Amino acid sequence: MNEAQQILDDSVNRFFNARIDRDFLTRIEASHWDDALWGNLVDQGLSQVLVSDAHGGMGGGWLDAFIVARACGKHALPLPVPEQLLANWLQEQAGLAPHTGVAGLLVAPIPGTALSGNQVTLTAERVPWGRRADYFVGVTSASELLVLDTAAARVAADANLAREPRDRITFTAAPILARARVALPSDAVRALGALLRSAQIAGAAAACLELSVKYTSEREQFGRALAQFQAIQHQLAELAGAMASVDTMAATAAIAMDTRGITAAGRNALFEIAAAKCRASEAVESITRISHQVHGAIGFTYEYDLQFLTRRLWSWRAEFGTHGQWGEQLGQIAIAEGGAELWHYLTA
Amino acid sequence: MNLDALRFPRHELPTNLEPLRSDVRAFLAAELKGYSPLVRSNSWDGVDPDFSRKLGAHGWLGMTLPTAYGGHGRTALERYVVVEEVLAAGAPVGFHWVADRQSGPMIARLGTAEQKRTILPAIARGEACFCIGMSEPNAGSDLASVRSRAARTSDGWVLNGTKIWTSNAHRANYMIALFRTDSATDSKHGGLSQFLIDMRTAKGITPRPIRDLTGRSNFNEVSFVDAWLPLDAILGNEGDGWKQVTAELAFERSGPERYLSCFILLTQLVEMLKDRASPAALAKIGAEIAWTATLRNMSLSVAGMLNAGLDPSLQASVVKDLGCHFEQRLPGLAQELIALEPTLADSGIDFQQVLGNLVQLAPSFSLRGGTLEILRGIIARGLGVR
Repeated sequence: MNEAQQILDDSVNRFFNARIDRDFLTRIEASHWDDALWGNLVDQGLSQVLVSDAHGGMGGGWLDAFIVARACGKHALPLPVPEQLLANWLQEQAGLAPHTGVAGLLVAPIPGTALSGNQVTLTAERVPWGRRADYFVGVTSASELLVLDTAAARVAADANLAREPRDRITFTAAPILARARVALPSDAVRALGALLRSAQIAGAAAACLELSVKYTSEREQFGRALAQFQAIQHQLAELAGAMASVDTMAATAAIAMDTRGITAAGRNALFEIAAAKCRASEAVESITRISHQVHGAIGFTYEYDLQFLTRRLWSWRAEFGTHGQWGEQLGQIAIAEGGAELWHYLTA
Repeated sequence: MNLDALRFPRHELPTNLEPLRSDVRAFLAAELKGYSPLVRSNSWDGVDPDFSRKLGAHGWLGMTLPTAYGGHGRTALERYVVVEEVLAAGAPVGFHWVADRQSGPMIARLGTAEQKRTILPAIARGEACFCIGMSEPNAGSDLASVRSRAARTSDGWVLNGTKIWTSNAHRANYMIALFRTDSATDSKHGGLSQFLIDMRTAKGITPRPIRDLTGRSNFNEVSFVDAWLPLDAILGNEGDGWKQVTAELAFERSGPERYLSCFILLTQLVEMLKDRASPAALAKIGAEIAWTATLRNMSLSVAGMLNAGLDPSLQASVVKDLGCHFEQRLPGLAQELIALEPTLADSGIDFQQVLGNLVQLAPSFSLRGGTLEILRGIIARGLGVR
């Protein structure tokens, strides 16, 4: 991280710190939205980090996006900032000016059969905050970016374990507002969503670690703080290692995205992204297990903050690909390269 | 708690190091042609003085040592590239390993002009084998309780006591050993000093090889009976032994050897699964590939911090902790996915032999250079709970 990125990290965390607390998170689990905070963070440019200067953005790269997404995870932000970052970036990659308003992100590639002239008929599953979307963005299996109108979209509300909206959107002859070829693989949304979720998992893991250290340092049993027991110290050390591994690999993937991208054939950032999401999703088990264990029963209550983080971690583990799915992809790469070439591939 | 202390700043190796990497690869490909996977799986337990000398002749040992003393004045990152290539290939680095990794840099930092002049050039040539006299029969993880004593006489030091688990003591030219030089001090960490011992000339030092569970003898019990050393055999400052040893261990805990010991087993496993990997098996292999990439980037970050003159001892402990778990998990995973028995006999299937060797060596990975329990204590201190 350079100095500007350090400042970005500090200021985003300060911004969320001042605005997100237990009451807010509790309230938004029922309302699913907060106009004031959304407006505020759009004004601050947080959702425009990847948007070029020409379109009024920050002109940042994926490491900047990683920093913002990590802060979102750390504060359990219940709004679709990472999704908006990605939707804006995709539109610019296709040569479009990002539309205004909340973007609904279509995770799976849109099959060619869904297109008919300038209309789309499609059922999209688990669209983050789909009910709030002002427009939808997706990439077709032929690598064409589509911007879809909400007029012909029917919403069936659903949510993940953290009560973040994950809606089914049914498009029936929905008009295409804009379309353009994009130099990305058709599953780019899944890959870049995985990168952002890895960053969010890193942030939530850091918050779990902070809470766990704080709680075990304050809570006394047998006449001393829990953190003074070696059995607890070693669990905290394991938690710290898990957090650090997720954080390092996710940052590595973001930088790989900045330097290699995922467009060129051969060894590109898809490898680092796969490794990052595989590691992040796998780590959710030990991060949530240890955090809850050292907190005892209080951490299992709704009144305590930990559950806002761990329910997100369990949800994000599966979103944009599980560790099993990304692991399978990495396993296929390893087999295709062969044992003798594996080291060369890893260091390429 | 300050999470920044746990950050691993991203470190990208400069691209101008790629020619160096290619050179090392070409050298290793030619040099290790006849080495079986079984032999390669010994990596830093494998001892071959000829190989070490050749590596030295290419300028790939003592790389960071000053040129005035036969070193090459190169960066820690250049050394990192050489070391990761050598380890990934499974080259026999045991003869020069300790000298190149920690003894050389320590002598360069703390040694007298005479010590540097006589020893550093030999390290850079790959002709010096060092061993480390730290543990004792009653002082292992609790290293500060060493009882071996060095008594000052009018013309030198007289050493008495026993060191144990001393790898390569029976073939080493030199030992750097921790002795108590002042027993009057109240502080447990005070009164300790390090000695630089020429094993070939010192009298009264007897290494006795200890068989390990594989049946081989790489480590030793070393007895000191009125062993006499000249006054200038002390390394660094009298009484600074604890501080010096702590700094030395940071070198020992930071490198790519902390996750590459079982890399060859991963490559063998990938070969075995060709054309017959189930999706579940692929996912398991893939998770370890993700770990390999993660640990390499964490390890690179530590190398970058060392190169920048920072103190990454906390991060190094994290890497070693995670790296050991990774290395120790692989034999079990290999056995889960491939139903062939481990063996050291020539079965005609390399996988079986590599597994047979590494499954037995693996327990040592989390013991050498500080047990996992010690490392986790260091991490807990970094978290502010200890």
